[in-house]
Amino acid sequence: MTALFKDVLRHPSGRIGLTLLIVFLLAGFLGKAGITPYDPLMQDRIARLQGPSSAHWFGTDLFGRDVLSRLMVGIGQSFVISFFSVGIASLLGSVLGLTAAWFSGLWDGAVMRFMDVLLAFPAILLALLIITIFGPGTWTSVLAIAIVYTPIFTRVTRGPALSLRRRDFVDAARTFGTSRSYIMTRHLALNLVAPLTVQITLALAWALVTEAGLSFLGLGTQPPNASLGLMLSDARNLMELAPWLLWVPAIALMLAVLSFNLLGDALRDILDPKTRRRLA
Amino acid sequence: MSYPIKRLLVFPLVMLGVSIFVFVAIRLVPGDAITAMLGTESGLLTPKQREALTAYFGLDQNWFVQFWRWFAGVLQGDLGISTTYGKPVMTVILEHFPLTLELAVLSMLIALAIGIPAGIYAATHKDRPSDLIVRVVAMVGQSTPSFVVGLLLVYLLSVGFGVLPEMGTFVPITEDPIANLAQMILPAITLGTAFAAAVIRMSRSAMLDILQEDYVRTARSKGIPRRRVIWRHALPNALIPVVTLSGVEFGYLLGGAVLVEQIFALPGLGRTVLDAILQRDYALVQGAVLFIAFNFMVVNLLVDLAYAALDPRIRFETK
Amino acid sequence: MSKMISKSLTTIGLAVALGTTALSGAAMAENLKVAWSQDATGLDPHKQTAFSSIRFLELMYEPLVRLDKDAKIVPALASSWEFNDEATVLTMKLDDGAKFHDGSAVTSADVKASFERILDEEVGSAARANFTAITSIDTPDEKTVVFNLDGPNVPFLTALASVNAAVVQASAIDAGTIGTEVVGSGPFKYESWTPNSNATLVANGDWHGGEVAIDGLDISVLPDETAILAALRSKQVDFALINDPFVATLIPQASGLKLAKAPVLSYHVLQLNPSRGPLTEQKVRQAISCAVDRQDVLDTALLGEGAVSGPLTMAAYATPVDELFCYTQDLDKAKALMAEAGYADGFDMSIMAATGEPPTAASEAQVLQSQLSEIGINLTIEMKELNVYVDHWLKANFDMAVALNGGKPDPYTMYNRYWTKDGNLQHVANYIDDDLDNLMAQGREETDPAKRKEIFQSFEKHLAEVSPWVWLYTGYSYAGSQDYVDGFEPTPTGSLFGLADVSLNK
Repeated sequence: MTALFKDVLRHPSGRIGLTLLIVFLLAGFLGKAGITPYDPLMQDRIARLQGPSSAHWFGTDLFGRDVLSRLMVGIGQSFVISFFSVGIASLLGSVLGLTAAWFSGLWDGAVMRFMDVLLAFPAILLALLIITIFGPGTWTSVLAIAIVYTPIFTRVTRGPALSLRRRDFVDAARTFGTSRSYIMTRHLALNLVAPLTVQITLALAWALVTEAGLSFLGLGTQPPNASLGLMLSDARNLMELAPWLLWVPAIALMLAVLSFNLLGDALRDILDPKTRRRLA
Repeated sequence: MSYPIKRLLVFPLVMLGVSIFVFVAIRLVPGDAITAMLGTESGLLTPKQREALTAYFGLDQNWFVQFWRWFAGVLQGDLGISTTYGKPVMTVILEHFPLTLELAVLSMLIALAIGIPAGIYAATHKDRPSDLIVRVVAMVGQSTPSFVVGLLLVYLLSVGFGVLPEMGTFVPITEDPIANLAQMILPAITLGTAFAAAVIRMSRSAMLDILQEDYVRTARSKGIPRRRVIWRHALPNALIPVVTLSGVEFGYLLGGAVLVEQIFALPGLGRTVLDAILQRDYALVQGAVLFIAFNFMVVNLLVDLAYAALDPRIRFETK
Repeated sequence: MSKMISKSLTTIGLAVALGTTALSGAAMAENLKVAWSQDATGLDPHKQTAFSSIRFLELMYEPLVRLDKDAKIVPALASSWEFNDEATVLTMKLDDGAKFHDGSAVTSADVKASFERILDEEVGSAARANFTAITSIDTPDEKTVVFNLDGPNVPFLTALASVNAAVVQASAIDAGTIGTEVVGSGPFKYESWTPNSNATLVANGDWHGGEVAIDGLDISVLPDETAILAALRSKQVDFALINDPFVATLIPQASGLKLAKAPVLSYHVLQLNPSRGPLTEQKVRQAISCAVDRQDVLDTALLGEGAVSGPLTMAAYATPVDELFCYTQDLDKAKALMAEAGYADGFDMSIMAATGEPPTAASEAQVLQSQLSEIGINLTIEMKELNVYVDHWLKANFDMAVALNGGKPDPYTMYNRYWTKDGNLQHVANYIDDDLDNLMAQGREETDPAKRKEIFQSFEKHLAEVSPWVWLYTGYSYAGSQDYVDGFEPTPTGSLFGLADVSLNK
C-alpha cells in the first residue's frame, strides 16, 4: 500500500492528481463539518449578488450567501454522492461479476443480460427516471448513479474471474512450481484489483459529472443545500448579472474531475503489468 | 458458435428486457398524461370525465394488457401513437433522429480531425514540451463536462462577443446546409471537446505502444525513413483502438445529448425523450428508448466486428 | 418469435438509414419571429389548460368575449350581449363578419355545439366546471345565442372570456378533428406545429376583428431563457415571451431591444394545508402570515419585480394591502400567536415546490424557509418535477406548497373552486367556513357593481385573516422585442393576443 502510494507520488500525473484531490477532500470535509468562512445557509439581504471581495472571496449569491462557503459544502456533497454511488456500484458490480463467473450457466446469463439492458439504456435518462420515481434527494442520486455504473464493474470483474475459474494459468504456473494460493492471490491482484482500482478512480470522475448533470436538471441535490451541479444550475439565468456564480462551480467541477482522471492515469501506468515491466 | 452470432442471439432478449424495463419505469413515475396535459386543472374533472380521458390515453387497461398491446405492435414495427405529437411514434423519432445523427457525426469528425494528428504528434515528440502541452490540454478537455463547455461557450460568445449562431428555428441540412452547419457547429464543438481529448490520449498511447514493437524497430533499423515508418507502418495499427473508442463514443452520442441539446435548443432525440418523460407521453418514451437501445447495440456490435477485422491478433473466443 | 423481433427491428434500422427530415417550412420575410421557452401541449382548445397552450391557441381560436389590457370584457365573436334583470339569461349577438379559417360563417349552431362539447363528460374538458350552470342553449337565429342559467350568475360572462370556451366548428366536432386540425376564427391560421420545436402561423386576411399587419408568426421554442435573450440580442428573434424576471431585467439594458411588461392576475402564494398537524390551528397559520416578509421574498426571488398582493389581484376589486391581516412582517406577534397555539418551540414541516415552475419557486421556498425559521418552524424543501408536484397537490398530499396560481378578472370565477363548500378543489384548499361560502354565493348573484365590490372586499379581508394560505405577490408578464416591433399591448392574463396588432417598422 505504501509502495503504491510512493509510486503515485513518483508519477507526475499522480502527484498533481493526488494534490488536487487532497485539496478537494479537505475543502469538502471542512464544508461537511461546518467549518466554513460563513454559514453556507445564512441569507444576508444586504449582501446580495456581490462580486468577489476580501470579505467574500468568491462573491455572494442571490440570497447573499457566501459562495466560498457554499462551494465547500457543495464539494463535500458532490464527493459524498460520488463516493457512495461508486462504492455501491463497485461492490454490487463485483459481487454480480464474480458470482456470474463462478456459477456461470443460467445465473451468468441472467446477470449479464440484465447488465446489457442497463447499458443499452441511455445513462442520464435512466438516472432521471429513477429519480423522478423516488423523488430527488441525496440518497436517490446515490442510488441512481450506482445503478447506472454497476454494469461496468460487473464486466470488469467477470472477465478475470472467469479466467481464474478456468485455471488455465494455474496449471501453467504450477509447472513452474509456485504455490497455489500464491498464484490465486497474485492473479487476482494483477488481473482484478488493478483494473478495478483504475475503474473506480475513473468512475468517481463520471459520478461527479453525472451528479452535476442531474442537479443541473433540478433532479439532484435539493436547495438550500449546495452541490456543484446545483450551483451551476442556479447560476444559469444569473450568469450575466453575476458571472462568478457560473465560473466558480464550473472550474471547481472541472478540477475535481481532473484530479480523479490524473490519478486514474497514474494508477493505470503503475498497476498495468505491461508498463510496469517497461519501467523496470 | 462465433461471437457475433452469439451477440445476435442475445439481441432480442436484451431488447425485450429494455422494453419491460422502460414500460414499468415510466409508469412508476407519479402523474400521468392527464395531469401533464391539464396540470392542477385536472382537479376540476368529474369522475366520468376522468374515465373518458383515461380511456382516451389507453390507460384504462391493466399493465399486462397495456404492455401486450404495445409489444405486439412493436413486433409488427408499430411503436404506437405519441399523445403529445398526435403522430405515430416512429414518425416522431425519425423527425428528430437525423439531427442527433448529424450531431454525432460532426462531433466525431471534429474529434478525429483534431485528435489523431495531435495524438500522433505528441507520441512522436514524447516528453518534449509540445507533448506535455498536448497532454495537458487533452486532460483538461476530458475533464470538463460537455454541458459546462456548452454553458461557458454560450456565455463567452453571447456576453463577451455578442454573437451567437441562430437558435430555435432549426434548419435541416437537407434544406440549407450552410445555415444548418452554422447552427450545429457550436454544439458539435461542445460534444467534440471531450471526445477529441479522448482520441488524443488514445492515439498517443497506442502510437507509443506500436513504436515499441519489434517490427517497427526492425523497419527503422532497415533504414526506412522515420516519417514513412510512422505513417505507413505504425499508424494503421495505432488506429485500431481509436476506431473502437470512437465507435463506442458514437454509440453513446446516438442516444442523444440531453443537456447539450437543451442548452442549444436543438430538437434532437435526447430532448425529445426528456420532454416525453416530462409530459408522460408513455408511447414516445418507450419507443424512443427502445430505438436508442437498438442503435446502441448495433453500433457496439459493429465496433466489435470492426475490431476483429482490423486486428489480426484478436480472435473472439469460441466456447 | 425472436426471429420476428429482429426482423421488425431490422426494418427500424433501415428506416433510420433512409431517415428523411421535414421539420420546418421556409421562413417568410414579413413574418414576426417569436420565441418562447415552454410550448403548447396540444391543439384542442377545450382540453388544453396549460398556460403555454392557451396563449398559443388563442392566436387561432376565439371565445365569445375576451379581456382587454385592463381586464375589461370586450367583444370577440360576440359583438354585444345582455343579461336579463335577474342575471339568469344571457343573450349574445354574434359578429356578422365572423368567419372560420375555411371561409364558413360562425353561427349560433357552432356556439351551441361547442358548449355541448365542453359539457359532454366523454370529452374530458376541465373547463366544464365553469359552465355547469348552463341549463340550455337557445339559438333563435343564425347570429343569436341564448344561455339559460340555473340561477343568477353574474360571473358567467367572465368565465366565457377564455379560449377554453372557444367556439369551434360544429362540423369539426362531428368529424372528430378537434385537436388534430385547427380551424378557428382568430387572427392567425394554423400552418404547422412541431411540439417543443417550432410552429408557423399565417395571418388571417378575413379576420372580423380587423387588419393583421404582419404576414404571420414563426414561433420557435428555446427551452433556455438565456438563449432567448441571446437570440433577441443577435436579432434572430423579433419578439419573445420571458418568464424569468432575471432575464427580463436585462432586456432594457441591451440596445435595440425593449421590454413590455404588465402586472398579471396570477399570484405567488404559500399554500398551507390546514388539515395537517399544527396548521389545523388558525393561530399557527396566522403566525406564519405575520412571520413572512412578503416584500423581502419579492425582492430576493423576483428582484423586486412585482407588487405585494392580497387574494384579489384584479385592480377593480383589490383591497389596499395595508388593510389586510398582518401584511407587514411582525415577528413579535407571530411568536405570540405560536405560543398561544401551544407551539412556542416551533415544529418541523416540509414545503413543496415544482422544479422551474415558476422559475422563481426554488428561490421563494428558500427565502420562506429562512424567514419561518425565525419563529421556530423548520422547513424541509422538497423540489418536485412538475407532474409529480401536481399529483401531490391534487391529493392535498403536502404540508406547505409554493405555487403560482392563475388569476381571473372576476373574484368568483377565480376562487369558487377553492373557497366554496362544493368547490372542485375544496379538498386541496382544505379550509372553508360559512362566511367565505356565503360571501361567494352573494357575489355570484349580486348585479350591482358597487355592492359586488363591497362583498368581495369583505371576502378578501376575511380570507387573509383566517390565513388558509399566505398570499404573497403578483409579478409581471414580460415580452421582449426589437425596437422596430410596434403595437404590442401586454395583458394581465399574459396573453399574446396583442400580436394581432403588431407591426414591423424596420
